[in-house]
Amino acid sequence: MQPFDHVSATSAAAAVELLQQGGPSGARVIAGGTDLISLMRDRIQSPRLLVNILPAAAALRYLRFEADGALRVGALATLADIERDPHIAARLPILTQAVRDAATPQLRAMATAAGNLMQRPRCWYYRGEFPCWLKGGDECFARDGENKYHAIFGASPCVAVHPSDLAPVLVALDAELTIAGPGGSARTLPVERFFAPPTDDERIEYRLQPGEVVSEIRVPAQPAGARGAYVKVMDRQAWAFALVSVAAQLSERDGVVERARLALGGVANVPWRVAAVEDLLTGQRLTPALAAQAAERALENAHPLTHNGYKVPMARAAIRRALLAAAGQEE
Amino acid sequence: MPVRIITTHLEFEGRVSEQRVVMEGDEPPVWGEDAELRIVGKPTPRVDGRERVTGGATYTYDIQLPGQLTAAALRSPHAHARVTRVDASRAEAMPGVRAVLHRFNAGDLIDPNRDRSVFAEELPYAGAIVALVLADTREQAADACAAVMVEYETLPFVVDPEAALQPEAPRVLSDRPHNKLNDEYPQTYQRGDVDAGIREAEVTVEARFETPAAMHNSMETHGATAQWDGRTLTIYSSTQDIFGVRRAVAKALGLHQNQVRAIKQYMGGGFGSKFGPHESGLLAAYAAHRLGRPVQYMLSREDENVAAGHRSATIQHFRLGAQRDGTLTAIEQRTVGNLGALAGWFPATAMATKELYQCANVRTIDEGARTNLGPFAAFRAPGVVEGIAAMETAVDQLAAALGMDPLELRLKNYAERHQDMQRPYARKLLREAYEIGAERIGWATRDAEARRYPKGRDGTLRRGVGMASQLWGGDGGPPAQAQAKLLPDGTAVIITGTQDIGTGTRTVLAQIAAEELGLPLEAVRVELGDTEFGLYSPPSGGSMTLASMGPAVRMAAAEARKDALEIVGHLVEAPADALDIRDGGIVNRETGREMGTLGSYLEQLDGHEVTAKGMRGPNAENVTVRTFGAQFAEVEVDLGTGQVRVRRIVAVHDCGRIVNPLTFSSQIEGGIIQGLGFALMEQRVVDQRFGTVMNANLEQFHIPTIRDVPEIDIVLLDRPNTYANTLGALGAGEPPIIPTPGAIANAVAHAIGRPVSGLPLTPDRILDLLK
Ligand SMILES: Cc1cc2nc3c(=O)[nH]c(=O)nc-3n(C[C@H](O)[C@H](O)[C@H](O)COP(=O)(O)OP(=O)(O)OC[C@H]3O[C@@H](n4cnc5c(N)ncnc54)[C@H](O)[C@@H]3O)c2cc1C
Ligand code: SF4
Repeated sequence: MQPFDHVSATSAAAAVELLQQGGPSGARVIAGGTDLISLMRDRIQSPRLLVNILPAAAALRYLRFEADGALRVGALATLADIERDPHIAARLPILTQAVRDAATPQLRAMATAAGNLMQRPRCWYYRGEFPCWLKGGDECFARDGENKYHAIFGASPCVAVHPSDLAPVLVALDAELTIAGPGGSARTLPVERFFAPPTDDERIEYRLQPGEVVSEIRVPAQPAGARGAYVKVMDRQAWAFALVSVAAQLSERDGVVERARLALGGVANVPWRVAAVEDLLTGQRLTPALAAQAAERALENAHPLTHNGYKVPMARAAIRRALLAAAGQEE
Repeated sequence: MPVRIITTHLEFEGRVSEQRVVMEGDEPPVWGEDAELRIVGKPTPRVDGRERVTGGATYTYDIQLPGQLTAAALRSPHAHARVTRVDASRAEAMPGVRAVLHRFNAGDLIDPNRDRSVFAEELPYAGAIVALVLADTREQAADACAAVMVEYETLPFVVDPEAALQPEAPRVLSDRPHNKLNDEYPQTYQRGDVDAGIREAEVTVEARFETPAAMHNSMETHGATAQWDGRTLTIYSSTQDIFGVRRAVAKALGLHQNQVRAIKQYMGGGFGSKFGPHESGLLAAYAAHRLGRPVQYMLSREDENVAAGHRSATIQHFRLGAQRDGTLTAIEQRTVGNLGALAGWFPATAMATKELYQCANVRTIDEGARTNLGPFAAFRAPGVVEGIAAMETAVDQLAAALGMDPLELRLKNYAERHQDMQRPYARKLLREAYEIGAERIGWATRDAEARRYPKGRDGTLRRGVGMASQLWGGDGGPPAQAQAKLLPDGTAVIITGTQDIGTGTRTVLAQIAAEELGLPLEAVRVELGDTEFGLYSPPSGGSMTLASMGPAVRMAAAEARKDALEIVGHLVEAPADALDIRDGGIVNRETGREMGTLGSYLEQLDGHEVTAKGMRGPNAENVTVRTFGAQFAEVEVDLGTGQVRVRRIVAVHDCGRIVNPLTFSSQIEGGIIQGLGFALMEQRVVDQRFGTVMNANLEQFHIPTIRDVPEIDIVLLDRPNTYANTLGALGAGEPPIIPTPGAIANAVAHAIGRPVSGLPLTPDRILDLLK
């Protein structure tokens, strides 16, 4: 690990200020550190300054429902906080489902919600000693290599998948981020737009300006009667990233879908929202046949790599299941 | 005591060797079916359980000596290369760095087990060691590794075993004429005429089955802490064989064996990969000897997974022929083993093929391929796990082709005798194991149960039940020595040179000694894991430890007891054989009169300690001693996602007398869980273009979590095998992993209604099979 300086911030604003002192690329926020530390240890990232925001817990670690039903998640709320919150379990169980099978109890105790959205890909070329495109190199080694865990959607030069369980659920819930910036500025941004496939100029899966700090995740009030389900497919029963995951959020009136959100994890660089399926579902009764049709439609444009063709039928099954579960048609 | 030398035979993982045994005195008679035992056979918590769960146990990592240096290695990123230059000047100047060892300053360190320089010029796999940095802290050492400049000349390589055997393939080691294991390969075993057997068959089955390279993933990685005091090199080694460590380290450093002391107190797992000092132990010893400071070198998890061994991958082709009634007419197995670059032997993939089923025409062909990958190492029943998985799935395919019940087909071809050696088995309870297992899993209704599915949200869940058989040795053998001492307070110390690799050896040896001495368990202490005692004991492997060491301990205890009673007899003026020791007290055999504690007599002897020796006697001749067993698995397969969930495993194994049902059960459970990992998820992934292992860590190399563990139903047969040794006990270390993958694979095939093509049965493989 490269030597670095370590300073503490007791608020988002203080963190923004300290980040600026570290210069544009040399400074990084550290929250739970569950991803950043291993990236540093493996010399994939070597910031010279770490701004520790855990001391800002008093201000940034909370879970609060507003009067209108919106949920505010402080950036430093941990996955374990979300998992254990009885109000979330009662009112937004899809969020509980998202964190329940993420990582391990030890990691969930440290991992923050904001950090979870900014974790980097688990692609083994990226994590290993390969100078791959995402790390600034010329070549994506996964595209024609060992790509069993890689993307089936997207057009980025990088075919890694987004590993987060929280991200697709937040996209399905139309969540927004509050981002603190220099000079006391703040902006809000839908989670969906926060994510963007890496490009030649910005080889990263999310867009944050230098010096910015995420301070809050806001889940707007969901329409009355809205229900959701998160289905995560793993290759063992715990402690595994999703091979494929599906977040489905539906609101129905008189048995007819009024509004649908469908976002997939484990299939693209970013949480993969499938608008075509949302349109297909809207105005229809959710039957097993419709769920199957939706699943077919969702995978229509998939273009699997050499070793991940299995993700197509797997995603179809997971979508059917998530939609039926969201519609309360679970057996 | 008259000394005799006896020649006997020993079978270790399918290979039989001759062994000379020195016997002083006689072993006590065998504990038969009717032996009345107080401590042996009772569920006994581990005597060192408290240390293990409170952190009091010192594992190799925990050894921290004053002034100790820590090491980290720089390893080759290339699948095949020559190291042409090493410039360590920048690394040497870094804070805390004390030395950097490499080819050009430490090329004289030879690994005696491989007969090759540890810092070799030719690096035949990605992960081969190039340099070792010694620093004050682990972090400093790791950082300095990155500052060592190395120039490589890269060489052509091959990682696919079938490609490696092609004549035009690049040479894995440039000084060898071919990539075969050695000139004796391919190796063929033959009895009868397989081609004729296939011709006369009414039904034939051909099956290809592949098994992955799977990592041992011991919790404690390989490594050692070593210290040189100018006369003796002491090495705390993570090993299954302290005497092997002593031998190899002495040879590597040019010392006499008695100048090396190897110690292993507590072990975080070995599973067959830790029979010698490993290159890490040699390096720790070499560096300590050279620098005059204690050195600890424990492998990182990544290094462990590329450089410390694995279960070698196989590609197996089976041909089976049978008559309509199920009688086997031919069995043929061709195995290509991917052995890595530095292999020395071929795992026993054919052991069960030769023996398990009655068949006159059998041929097995072993093709050992060297490839530019890390070395494999013995792994809990090496070869047999893979061989049985492939054969038992082929047998199920034959049953399907015959329209016969798989269990019935197995019984139809039940082998009563050892067909290869043409002699009887001492005992074979496989039929009972089949019957009991079938009963408990509900074999008779397995098809009806399966039809009650599909189940699940969108009707994609299927259920299946399958089984596989197990065969293995495990009767142990000489040489194995022990000493028993009765101390003035009437307690005992048992001294052996074995090691407890986590299986409970310390506990079962204490039970055996307490039983024989007539002492309560708490009055017996077992010392082991230190060559300084000078009592040679074999490596802990091959399911041999209990069956080898137990009888030696028993004999030592019996001798000590005799001597003690002789002494007490003198003191009370009674014949020794009128007296007995019961629960630590002296008793008159005839009258039952209690005469005070044993300690109250020994105390009168001015500190004299009663000392006696015991040794493992020869093995029975002209008969083959085996453990047999079977496992039955119930699984659910999700046809939508390809996920397999094992619901239940029934395990029935005949391992003779069960000395301790608790440690026995933990062996069975551990074996099953490890076998389940092999069946469902464990798999080394290699990028063929670069020859690099992609998942050399615990994040991407998946092993079972506690949630993956099914209900495990263990049947204790607990019947002494009186041919085995004076305990009647056989090893249980390897038997339980042997049938698990085959049973699960057959259950999955039953669930999805088609044969499986290999392991692991990951969701992608299942979805592929369903295509
Ligand atoms: C073995 C393992 C298994 C895992 N399994 C799963 C899984 O199954 N599902 C899943 O979803 N995740 C999984 N994770 C990922 C884990 O959830 C994330 O590492 C964690 O959520 C990151 O949060 P953190 O607080 O530790 O972030 P850190 O490691 O501290 O930071 C991560 C990144 O976010 C940035 N950052 C953090 N907070 C802020 C902020 N407020 N503003 C701006 N930037 C910020 C940091 O600068 C850094 O770049 C796993 C991780 C491991 C190590
Ligand atoms: S998928 Fe992305 S992270 Fe992986 S090798 Fe390709 S560019 Fe690098």
